[in-house]
Amino acid sequence: MRRDRGRKPKKKICSYCVDKIESVDYKQYEKLKRFVTERGKVLPRRISGNCARHQRQLTRAIKKARIMALLPFTSE
Amino acid sequence: MGYYEIMLIIRPDVEADGHQEVLEDLKAAITKEGGDVSTILDWRKRRLAYEINKHKEGHYYLVYFSGQGTIIPEIEHYFRVTDAVIRYMVVSVEEKDFNAAAEKAAEAASAAEAQAEKQEEAAAAEETAAVEEPEVEIVPEVDEEPEAEGQTEVTEVAEKVEGQAEVEAADEVQTDSKVDE
Repeated sequence: MRRDRGRKPKKKICSYCVDKIESVDYKQYEKLKRFVTERGKVLPRRISGNCARHQRQLTRAIKKARIMALLPFTSE
Repeated sequence: MGYYEIMLIIRPDVEADGHQEVLEDLKAAITKEGGDVSTILDWRKRRLAYEINKHKEGHYYLVYFSGQGTIIPEIEHYFRVTDAVIRYMVVSVEEKDFNAAAEKAAEAASAAEAQAEKQEEAAAAEETAAVEEPEVEIVPEVDEEPEAEGQTEVTEVAEKVEGQAEVEAADEVQTDSKVDE
């Protein structure tokens, strides 16, 4: 029996698992853009739906991409 | 021995000669320490996500090399003293990614060659197109005129032959054949 608190739990789909990508690449910054907010913050797992393994890799990839000015540390 | 990837950003106001100089120096620094540069990928000029030393753009390069980890301090020292390099990062990569990058570079090189060839062919085809066009235009006329069976067979064969020729031509220059059809 599911307790209904007015909001359905969103189905979690890790896009990296779906695409069968082993490791997240910091060079594919266009793809990484999908996982940052407009302000440039890393999107939390509860929103992106990534699995723990890929979320860890993703945060590191985003940080590398930021160092190389592929992604902003902050925008606006 | 490890596999490494260097990403570096060269100042946008440096000319192509300067780029080569940096890459050559880098290669020399790596090989001097017993490393082996496998691939250099040109990522071209890109807009930086934020300003670095007042620069809004930068020319990115990816360099893949294998060798002892002791090379890295040498490389970093070189980057620090070189004015043209505004940002760099050395990352270790797995062997399969390392090889994939080499393959990608080889592919890109061959693709560039193929494209150059294609362009040449297309240019040549354009020149000959003026000669070929009347021939192509005759074909529908032949289709319509003959009503006798014997004659149609002949034209069919002729069509087939011409069709094959067209297919062959299409293989060489795809875009042009579409226009012809």
